[in-house]
Amino acid sequence: MERDLRLDFFRGVALFCIFLDHLPNNILAEFTFQSVMFADAAEVFILISGYTAGMVYGRAMERQGFVAAGIRVYHRLWQLYVAHIFLFMIFLGMVAYTQGALNKSLYAEEFGATNFLSEPGLAVVQALMLQFQPAFMDILPLYIVLLAVLPLVLAGFRSWPGVVSLVSFALWLTVQLDNRVALAAYPGPDRVWYLNPFAWQALFLLGAWFGWRNIHGGVSWLGHRWLFWLAAALSLAGFLIRVNWTLHGFYDPIPVLVNAKLLWPFLSKTDLGFLRLVNVLAVALLVASLIRIQARFLASPAAWPFLICGRNSLYIFCLGILLSVLGHLVLNEFFGGVAMQLAVSVAGVVIMIAVAALLEWFVAAQGTPGGGAVGAPTATKGVRG
Amino acid sequence: MIAAFLRHSLFLIAATVVGLLITVLGASADERECPVPERFYEFEPLVTKTVKAFAGRREVVIAVLGGASTMGVAAGGLEFAWPARLASALAERFPSKRIKVINLAVGRQTAKRAVERLEHDVLPLKPTLVIWETGTMEAVRGTDVDEFRQTMQTGIDKLRAAGADVLLMNMQFSRASDAVIHFEPYLAAMRQLADINDVPLFRRHAIMRHWAESGALDLRAGEGEKGRELAASLYDCIGRAMADLATRGIPAAKRANPAGGDR
Repeated sequence: MERDLRLDFFRGVALFCIFLDHLPNNILAEFTFQSVMFADAAEVFILISGYTAGMVYGRAMERQGFVAAGIRVYHRLWQLYVAHIFLFMIFLGMVAYTQGALNKSLYAEEFGATNFLSEPGLAVVQALMLQFQPAFMDILPLYIVLLAVLPLVLAGFRSWPGVVSLVSFALWLTVQLDNRVALAAYPGPDRVWYLNPFAWQALFLLGAWFGWRNIHGGVSWLGHRWLFWLAAALSLAGFLIRVNWTLHGFYDPIPVLVNAKLLWPFLSKTDLGFLRLVNVLAVALLVASLIRIQARFLASPAAWPFLICGRNSLYIFCLGILLSVLGHLVLNEFFGGVAMQLAVSVAGVVIMIAVAALLEWFVAAQGTPGGGAVGAPTATKGVRG
Repeated sequence: MIAAFLRHSLFLIAATVVGLLITVLGASADERECPVPERFYEFEPLVTKTVKAFAGRREVVIAVLGGASTMGVAAGGLEFAWPARLASALAERFPSKRIKVINLAVGRQTAKRAVERLEHDVLPLKPTLVIWETGTMEAVRGTDVDEFRQTMQTGIDKLRAAGADVLLMNMQFSRASDAVIHFEPYLAAMRQLADINDVPLFRRHAIMRHWAESGALDLRAGEGEKGRELAASLYDCIGRAMADLATRGIPAAKRANPAGGDR
């Protein structure tokens, strides 16, 4: 079976968007997913990751059984956990670097409440338990928790797919009705996980289910004409409303067509609000219908940077976070207006592509057997979920 | 493909470094004062009742809610805080007008706590205008953004129902904090709230960033006396800029100083 390059491509796009969105005052952040749809790069990333995981580990479960597939999932989870701890170390370094500045009289009283390291031992323990999620460290803990339940979910898909879907949907709906259904985070007392796993599991599991069904011939009703037109209509409506808001943000006299206040209850990012969920699913269906699995442009040189970044998503994701932290320092130290924002953005993207290219070259040079095939039973290729 | 790509990458990195150097060298602007470019106010709505009150006879009462940076702690006390500087800037511009600025700020006060205080501490003053500085505690503590937005909406509704104009002010800018505290969602929430409710927003975060960038203020000045001086001049700059924003729409003829202080 051929690798679905669309997954790599759009995950690569999402990774670039996450990096650009994380830079302060970045003009290019006005040109990412979040400006043209209710959802943003985080939804795209989690949906594609769910789909890939469902497909790769679902196939592993068919071939190697529950235990072997479970071990592979947990091997991947371990890599993510180590990456999370690595990012935490970078955060600690940042805190150490900025501590003096934050204690300057102008800010001491306000930011003193941060007290990241007033209880250093506790902060480290909380980070190890995924409870401490400082700036930018929110996606990986979510991903780790979702992978942790994946083996059970995949086993569930095989025996009682209806029950799994129902529980997943009910959990998401509960969060929509009562946002106290959340995981507490450190330091308390009000802090919760920025991305509520009880809500976000719905998107990941839905992706995983489609990915899992894909190895069993796909989901026939996805091809219905009316579903395509529904997705197109929803995507278009989301696009028009969101672009209108973006343009209004750029230039105030442009009138707002739909008052955002009406939609706020359905646009929560923390709780994956209704409109965000529906919007990302509609756009995904639309894109999957319009772009064929081996569309020619995916083989073109222009698509190559996105493909290699999407293929090495864990490394490039972490690198992107690191680069956006450095980008913060550069942009807030030297400023430099739009030119500087563009320079930092371009430099970051180029570094991400260069590292992905190196990783690709390295794997190829190692002569890994079965290169390119999803689910190849080797440590380097196979565990990319 | 990879070799060609690496060549391009090297070129781009070199170009970036050159761009960086040019920007650093070019950043030595020599402005003494701290002007605020029109783009920070341009599309802000007017505080209509306040504008009318300035034209009328009755006293103009401005109540200020906020945290430590509004209390003026870093500059040595309330008399150096930006609300006090706002009061003296207004007194300069409207010498014959009775204006009272009441500073109700409390250190580390959340938006939620501020809303709880409205009934007892703010509304009895019958303020013409309420300036609400907030967002810092929420960003520092990682309060749920949706909850923050809801809380602020409640507060804005209450103040308007009581007949007061509302003006919002967002967080301070600091070079260091941006990299460890996730301000962006809270800044965005406040922009949306101001926009949707048609209340003006004093973009303190962006304006302070502009002053740091233009070299008007060196926000890195350290501890002790130097730090205190910096805070005092920063609060003076903010007070005067706030006077500009709060009195937009008042015909120049009514002003004692049509140039508007530092503009």
